[in-house]
Amino acid sequence: MQLASPTRPGVAREVRETLLLAGRSLRTIPRVPERLLDVTIQPVVFIVLFLYVLGSAVHVPGMSYTDFLLPGVIAQQIAFSVIGAGTATAVDMHEGVVDRFRSLPIARLSVLTGQVLGQFCEALLGVIVVAGLGFALGWSPDMSFGDVVVAITLVLFTLFAFMWAGIVLGLSFRSPDAVQGVGFTIMLPLTFMAGTFVPIAGMALVPRTIAEWNPISPLVAALRELTGGPHSAGGSWPLDHPIAGAFIWSTILLAVCIPVALARFRKLTDG
Amino acid sequence: MASSSDVPAIETRALTKRYGDVVAVDRLDLVVPTGSVVALLGPNGAGKTTTVRMIATLVRPTSGTATVGGRDVVAEGDAVRRQISLTGQFAALDPNLTGRENLRLVAALRGHDRATARRVADALVERFDGAEFADRTIGKVSGGQRRRMDLAASLVHQPSLLVLDEPTTGLDPRSRQIVWGTVRELVADGVTLLLTTQYLDEADALADRIVLIDHGRQVAAGTAAELKRTVGAQRIDVVAVDAAGLETLRSRLSERYEVSVSPELRMLSIPAPAEVDDLAGVTDAVAATGVSVDELALRRPSLDDAFLALTGRPPARDEADEPVPAAEAA
Repeated sequence: MQLASPTRPGVAREVRETLLLAGRSLRTIPRVPERLLDVTIQPVVFIVLFLYVLGSAVHVPGMSYTDFLLPGVIAQQIAFSVIGAGTATAVDMHEGVVDRFRSLPIARLSVLTGQVLGQFCEALLGVIVVAGLGFALGWSPDMSFGDVVVAITLVLFTLFAFMWAGIVLGLSFRSPDAVQGVGFTIMLPLTFMAGTFVPIAGMALVPRTIAEWNPISPLVAALRELTGGPHSAGGSWPLDHPIAGAFIWSTILLAVCIPVALARFRKLTDG
Repeated sequence: MASSSDVPAIETRALTKRYGDVVAVDRLDLVVPTGSVVALLGPNGAGKTTTVRMIATLVRPTSGTATVGGRDVVAEGDAVRRQISLTGQFAALDPNLTGRENLRLVAALRGHDRATARRVADALVERFDGAEFADRTIGKVSGGQRRRMDLAASLVHQPSLLVLDEPTTGLDPRSRQIVWGTVRELVADGVTLLLTTQYLDEADALADRIVLIDHGRQVAAGTAAELKRTVGAQRIDVVAVDAAGLETLRSRLSERYEVSVSPELRMLSIPAPAEVDDLAGVTDAVAATGVSVDELALRRPSLDDAFLALTGRPPARDEADEPVPAAEAA
């Protein structure tokens, strides 16, 4: 009683499955509003806190604090998407819904790519919300058309890379709570030691050194430079060349995380 | 249809899964003939789930082979996944989608276009009597309803082979009956079924053949009746109200029957190979003595007894078979 079966060849089949699975992930957003709060309320809190509470004590040469802060918050938002993607992955593994997908005659890679694409769209939505809020609060980036293209490309590429890091995180810990805990413990200090809210130059030696080589720092610096800030004055190669640095860091992240994610997924598959 | 009736729906040879030093499944030989219902019965941790996960291509065997409809689970995973449908112990549905949406998604992933997927999902909702809860998110429906939708999701492609891993664990009695009813319908339609359970009554109620496993190994196999027979024959127990009555019964009944007596229980036992016919004879004989008795019952050894005898452990749930109701007094 086999039904006419779905063996369209290779890539077309995989793309279709990826879109279906990503669609599943996106469709649930309105059902779980907390998930969207994670990617909206949190950055709002940071913006308000720094702009109106702590920011008055921060002196940034050559630009307004709002213009300094917004690229930082956007970068932080991108970095935090690791936690969202990781949690969603852990929840799926936990719920057994992945078992269902894996017992279907679909490409196993589609399960991962569907997850990445779904989470990517969700995280992008968060970035857009943050940027929108920034504009509303007086952020006025000064950009050429070329800057806009580079900035958008950079955001998309970095987000894609961080998604895969999130998948690795989600496949590495059993419970969604553990993913959240570990994720925040790593990402929160890392996003602070990246020139996000205050200039790196004023930091003490240890955090400054971390900041100089932190993968988030060149992203912050690149976005700041592309939105009209002064050229970042480094201390390290990635900070001297923030746009190249950010692309390189993301490429490294992808080169490491994709094979690790596949291996971990296969390992979980084979028990 | 790929499998002709001479190719077993499932066949494993020396199927083994090791996790480090732990042997979860140990050289298991299992045959599920096409069209049959086989129950894999065993306590928690016996290796039931690992076995079905290997068969469903979710876990790779350490050694040995398993075929589904003649296709190897490792080498021909995709072909196996097209035939088989596994319903796991925990509902494998997206808790944030409704039952209907889950069904549509599975249908779409099985290659149906949007309209067909919709039709397939609606038909399944109707079949499982789910109209009332199919549009609520899975996270908000009861355990029994979720399990029904899960089972429905396994039937999207009308599988010829269904694998159910502990289909009723944790369900209330009513949901359990519904799941059993659905399973029986499927079997009547000719679906081959492998189910795992730790409940003896479930194996008894659903399966043609029971494979008892413990520590990853097959301990015994046969029909429920055969397994019960391994523990002993059925008998009739008569309990007298006092010792004098017991003595009278013993002397009168031993003329016709092979009687054994347990004085401390005031009980006398008679083998009853003909079951109910013997029961009628013994009842008449007891009545003829005029002795008052507390109880007179036909006892069949339960699967619990078999389980205990074969594994050295009582079964997971303490729910012994009731004695067959018989005359209360003479």
